[in-house]
Amino acid sequence: MTAKPIRNGCEQRVEAGWAVLDVFGEVDLSWSQDIRRRVLDALAAGPALAVVLERVSYIDSSGIAALVEGFQQARAKTQRFALVAPSDSVRAVLELARLDRVFPIYTDLAAALAD
Amino acid sequence: MSGRPLLRLKIPAQAEALADMRQQLAAVLATLELADRERERIVLAVHEACSNIIRHAYRNCPAGSIQLDVSKLRGQLRIRLRDRAPPVDPSCIRPRDLGECRPGGLGINIIDDTMDRWRLRPLKHRAGNVLCMRRRLLKEKRK
Repeated sequence: MTAKPIRNGCEQRVEAGWAVLDVFGEVDLSWSQDIRRRVLDALAAGPALAVVLERVSYIDSSGIAALVEGFQQARAKTQRFALVAPSDSVRAVLELARLDRVFPIYTDLAAALAD
Repeated sequence: MSGRPLLRLKIPAQAEALADMRQQLAAVLATLELADRERERIVLAVHEACSNIIRHAYRNCPAGSIQLDVSKLRGQLRIRLRDRAPPVDPSCIRPRDLGECRPGGLGINIIDDTMDRWRLRPLKHRAGNVLCMRRRLLKEKRK
């Protein structure tokens, strides 16, 4: 059996003063360090970061760790950090790790930017 | 491994091999009476176990391999992972307190929360470790 090719990636933009990372595909150990680097770089460059997770069909603990590290860094520097529209798969892992009560989670980007 | 074999797969101990493993495991689990969410949890738990082997047992040395065996016996799903990495001390492998918000260390919690039983055993006379995980298969949705 051959694996179906999965397109993984991350699009980055700035909206209303927020850095927005729009992640898609399956976030796992093979490239979660790339997400971590992008999260930390975005926080180094600006005051607020929203990570959009609507198109993430899978996330493992290494991907979650990248988000936790970003959240902690933002909190330490009183920056804004938001998770936006996590897919059901992402939400299930956040709940499993009890992080759904920790992260600021918004249903859409407009809600995060307006808060 | 006893029971009805469902999947036997040997993968390189490399993060890039995990997506293919997940697809093959999900395809096998789709033949069982499992709710979608339950199936996803099992795939995630096995993925986390393989990730831990790659990162902590093999210490990201890409030359290693992982043997995955999945079988069904008496209403139980049995999953066995065999590596050839240096022995791991099972007493060091424990779930962490989820009340602490810190990056890393969630993999064991995911395994512990998903499986009914699991046991890690270093092999005495040969290189490697064996992780055995068991999960009851119920028709109704659980957890």
